[in-house]
Amino acid sequence: MPRPEHKTIQLTIDGREVTAREGMMLLDAAKHGDIEIPYFCYQPKLGNPVGACRMCLVEIEGIPKLQTSCSTPVKDGMVVHTETDRVRHAQNAIVEFLLVNHPLDCPVCDKGGECPLQDITFGWGLGRSRFIEPKRHFVKPLALSPLIAIDRERCILCYRCVRFSQEISEDYQLVFAERGADTLVATHDGHPYVAPFSGNIVELCPVGALTSRPYRFRARPWDNEGAGGICTLCPSQCNVELTVRDEKVMRVLARDHPEVDDGWLCDKGRFAYQSIHVDERITAPLARDGGSLREVSWERALELAGGLARHKGHVGALVGGQATNEEGFLLQRLLREGLGSNDIDSRGGGPVDVELARALAAPSLQASVPDIEFAHTVLVLGCEPLDDAPIIDLWIRKGVRRRGVQLAVASSRPSALDVNATFTVRYPPGAEAGFLAELDAALAGGDAPQDRRELASLLREVGEDVVILWGERLGAQALPALLSIAGRLGLADRPGAGLLEIPCGANGRGLREAGAVPDAGPGYRAVDAPGRGAAEIAGAAADGDVHALYLFQTDPVRELPDRGLWEQALHRASLVVAHASVLTEGLREHANVIFPAESYAEKEGTIVHPDGRLQRLRQAIAHPEQVRAGWSVLVDVARAVGQEMDVLTSSMAFAQLLAAVPFYEGLTLEAIGGRGLRWPAREQARAFPGGARPQAPGSEASDGRDAPAASDGQLRLGTYRPIWAAPEVEISPALHFAVAEQQLELSPRDAARLGLGHGETVVVAQNGKQLRAKAAVRTGVPPGTAFLAEGIAAQSANALTEPFVEVRKP
Amino acid sequence: MSPYDPGEDVIEVIRAPAPGPIRGAYRVFGETLRGLKTTFARIVEGPTTIQYPEEKTPVYPRFRGRHKLHRFEDTGLEKCVGCSLCAAACPADCIRVVAAENTPEHRISAGERYAAVYEINISRCIFCGYCEVACPFDAITMGHDYEMSDYTRSDLIFTKEMLLAEPIERTPLRAEGE
Repeated sequence: MPRPEHKTIQLTIDGREVTAREGMMLLDAAKHGDIEIPYFCYQPKLGNPVGACRMCLVEIEGIPKLQTSCSTPVKDGMVVHTETDRVRHAQNAIVEFLLVNHPLDCPVCDKGGECPLQDITFGWGLGRSRFIEPKRHFVKPLALSPLIAIDRERCILCYRCVRFSQEISEDYQLVFAERGADTLVATHDGHPYVAPFSGNIVELCPVGALTSRPYRFRARPWDNEGAGGICTLCPSQCNVELTVRDEKVMRVLARDHPEVDDGWLCDKGRFAYQSIHVDERITAPLARDGGSLREVSWERALELAGGLARHKGHVGALVGGQATNEEGFLLQRLLREGLGSNDIDSRGGGPVDVELARALAAPSLQASVPDIEFAHTVLVLGCEPLDDAPIIDLWIRKGVRRRGVQLAVASSRPSALDVNATFTVRYPPGAEAGFLAELDAALAGGDAPQDRRELASLLREVGEDVVILWGERLGAQALPALLSIAGRLGLADRPGAGLLEIPCGANGRGLREAGAVPDAGPGYRAVDAPGRGAAEIAGAAADGDVHALYLFQTDPVRELPDRGLWEQALHRASLVVAHASVLTEGLREHANVIFPAESYAEKEGTIVHPDGRLQRLRQAIAHPEQVRAGWSVLVDVARAVGQEMDVLTSSMAFAQLLAAVPFYEGLTLEAIGGRGLRWPAREQARAFPGGARPQAPGSEASDGRDAPAASDGQLRLGTYRPIWAAPEVEISPALHFAVAEQQLELSPRDAARLGLGHGETVVVAQNGKQLRAKAAVRTGVPPGTAFLAEGIAAQSANALTEPFVEVRKP
Repeated sequence: MSPYDPGEDVIEVIRAPAPGPIRGAYRVFGETLRGLKTTFARIVEGPTTIQYPEEKTPVYPRFRGRHKLHRFEDTGLEKCVGCSLCAAACPADCIRVVAAENTPEHRISAGERYAAVYEINISRCIFCGYCEVACPFDAITMGHDYEMSDYTRSDLIFTKEMLLAEPIERTPLRAEGE
């Protein structure tokens, strides 16, 4: 639904004239008018108020009884009193009542010092209690999950955590068990509350009932400093506040950006900060010496990396998604200017023609994240938001639940959003291009299968504001048809409609804009001799045409398809230089020089959100041990190969980037600031190359390759990247329980045919390659299809290259 | 009225006695004798030099000297739960507390948490006693010892073990009514 329009009205609170938006809750209006009303349960992010805690009682003229201001909408001419004796008496009574069972163990409670209950008791309580009977007791502390500790004695039953579980993350796990005085927060059957967004309830809890276990007793609020940052573990790029004590990140809190993350974080973002301070992290330069990696001095490591100069014209580079724009920009300068090669890639979904890439990234065609909430229809195409960009999943749920967004899901793998979707359509893995070509034909009124026609009519008929959320994993072949669909739906130049791409890497979009792609320089400028993409670099390296590889915060053996080829490529390459913070398999076996990479808490630079928002990474903690800034290492490597970058600070690198990218013109770091800036919404976005309006390609669109038919008994293989598939997760002690293991998702029919039960170990074979996986029988999986995880540490599906697999018992 | 008339703001200056022989003699001897009266009156009391460090000034019971951490006498557990309130109250920012969690096998304090690290930088402490006031468990109190000088600054960071140990009471306490 389009954004609603609001009238403003006038009301009087405590004799003060307050202007408020119609329909606003009285409590919010008072806040706008700088009048404080205490509350516990109210939280606008959680949707409709429940009025559970009764702390926000106020007196409204004309209403005989006190009203909860959190659930009373404002009316024109309303006269409200918040400081009368009656109100004060009620507030005192509520505080006294809430403290009846509260243990008052503030000195040992982690919430102490940042606890609303403490503050409100101090500000609005009477200071004494008449209650002398024994308080209720529970076993404490109890693990609600491996990440969250629950202390039921402290709970004031405000409903916030339960509402989050029921209405925001919609995992429906937390409930109020028992009734009356025995009420307690619990999961249905006492199983641990494990969900991708569970950590948010810790931040929501207004008392110390739900506390973070990794943060347990680590610090007090007055020991800490807050440092704003951006989480770069996935493309959602949530704004976070890092809690820093003694130059160590102690926890991660949401920094509530209403146009990026809506104030939520996923558990990966919230708890994988632990990977910054573990022994597994690389904190000194390493070099291969007689087969094994050994710590060396920076001088020695740079000297070794200077050996790249011997391979001029035969160097390939890969940039990982956590690199900043500046790092991507400097690396492409190093490669193009210093080493005479265009073989640089940051894409995870295969090469995309530069014209097509420009057309899809055109500013007029970009939807912003809040557009998801206010669209008529959202089409989730070829991606699983929960795994690829978890916060987008919450945005979609919010849109569907509160704004009546019609959701359509078109993917090969069943999605967590299927239950929320108005319309769901499945296509076989590998048939993305064919599916989109058929959808395009259906939108054109041509001949297409029934479900494609239904989807087309849903997209056309509900409303003009259509947001298509598509994943880079869709594959390059499908993109011409996607562009054509966008053209047919008239998404360009329509505010509130457009495309939103979820790239594979967290800063995938920014790296492309910075020129870390083979066929385009900074700002999608065409290059004279387009280089090779990732897959071609692998082939060339395996054939001996590329002699040296530069891996910037990525390990292709783990991250990219065709593991075998990459192993061969890295093995054959005579020099492999890497920046890494975790020693993943490919680097351990093949890298010659490894520079310690920064974590996102140490970086200084800019990144670009999938919707075009430039955001700033700020250094929150000092570099541990010998770690140096990524941009400065790149400058040093350039010097070692005889190139002068002319960069002395990270802002000089940013200035060079600005000068090279026409549509960033006029930006400053101050303007980007703590909240970021969407460049597609700026005037200078006109400078985006390739014309303002994307042209739908003609016959190419219907050229989709249909998936070949399965031979007997084999299953068609699709892959996905689980939310937990990240090296950072694997080395975070708190997340050990969540580390993704290989599992084979298959349909109940296939499971029955193969005689497999849920949880059984199976062998997945193809061309003599074998993987072991746990069978996961999932009803939504279409028969004849199976899904394996990739990007995980062991038994990753990127070892398999063919579209079909054989599944059998071990 | 002249433009520089200060009006009522002028304060009359108290001047020395007017010059003259009698008044002059008084000025020379009178006040001096008044001071000497005190001096001679104290002579009969004898010298009060305290031969520090052989002798020490007794301190009052509420004297705020070196800090002490306490244990429960019956269980031997530390009273401190590592809540950091002392660190929050400290105006000199000289207390550092790092808390950790008690386990049934490894119980240090009576509460859920205990102070894994408890350090007071004595060289920075101003002995205001706010830590003692802030402590919700009476785990830290100010002792009577004031002899804390040392040769290096790092030795002036008192650790939890040092603060918990029974301090050598080198300072005599002033007796009741003294």
